Amino acid sequence: MARVITITSGKGGVGKTTTTANLGTALAMQGQRVVAVDADIGLRNLDVVMGLENRIVYDLVDVVEGRCRLRQALIKDKRFPELFLLPAAQTRDKDAVSPEDMIELCNSLRREFDFVLVDSPAGIEGGFRNAIAGADEVLIVTTPEVSAVRDADRIVGLVEAFEKGHPRLILNRIRPQMVNRGEMMSKEDVVEILAIDLIGVVPDDEVIVTSTNRGEVAVMQKGSQAGRAYTDIARRLLGEDVPMLVLTDDQSLLDKFMGALGLRPRRTVR
Amino acid sequence: MGFLDNLLGRKRETSSTIAKERLLTVLVHDRVKLTPDDMEAMRAEIIAVISKYVDIADPEAIDVSLLRGEESDHLKADIPVRRTRN
Repeated sequence: MARVITITSGKGGVGKTTTTANLGTALAMQGQRVVAVDADIGLRNLDVVMGLENRIVYDLVDVVEGRCRLRQALIKDKRFPELFLLPAAQTRDKDAVSPEDMIELCNSLRREFDFVLVDSPAGIEGGFRNAIAGADEVLIVTTPEVSAVRDADRIVGLVEAFEKGHPRLILNRIRPQMVNRGEMMSKEDVVEILAIDLIGVVPDDEVIVTSTNRGEVAVMQKGSQAGRAYTDIARRLLGEDVPMLVLTDDQSLLDKFMGALGLRPRRTVR
Repeated sequence: MGFLDNLLGRKRETSSTIAKERLLTVLVHDRVKLTPDDMEAMRAEIIAVISKYVDIADPEAIDVSLLRGEESDHLKADIPVRRTRN
């Protein structure tokens, strides 16, 4: 039974597209047949994050408007034979597609795949509504900042109003050192505020930047903490009971003592 | 006294606790859809009603606020009443 999962956030720039690309790849690495759908019509980005930008011929709007068949628009990721991308149109806007179109599209994709991951645009308007129209489940991405959490709260309310069940939370770009110093909200803080289930915490990781530069994703990089966190989320989606990654900042006792004195602890980066 | 508090394990007002408190306040207002103006108008009406029955000690000290609860949010009014014998 295929699952359609929409990744959304409210606020822009919190890592929806990166999350979609990493979860899609991680699920494909687990042997699932996956299609990642870029629902951000007019602001196509999932293709460059996945490194598939040079191979686009047709896009989602071409499919909806009948200029091509669905299979012609799907781009196969050569590195992972089970992974496909349905790119967004770059020259159109969100009004080119209706929620009914998206439901029909998702239902067609269900027949071919185990997972349909829909990358939602930011905001709470038409594009977001299109992105969740065909969803069975919703994942909300936020960062531990007041603006992102406030917007995530709004999205939780909307997802429930659209009867998409209880969304689950991905807390992105956590910096353990800052959390330890009390300078960043912890996962406990954010979960308490939003009162939804947490499916994963992703640390802030330079590998996200360097791998995206190359059109690769962090789950492909051994030793990336963010990549590991995304792989764990994919396994949780598959029903495995994976304990939450304990994000460490490798503080020594001396560091902790200096921290308690209000002195800046030495940083050790793994 | 930050370092002493830390050594003794006392909680210090860090930027993350400020962030959390600010968020809890803004979210409860977002959810109940009560603007600061509405809140002020309601506060004035509550004071008017209460003062018909009891002697309010200090109108400035009245605190009307929205609080987050588990299942529902709460409107809390803390109204100091003048204490008089006979």
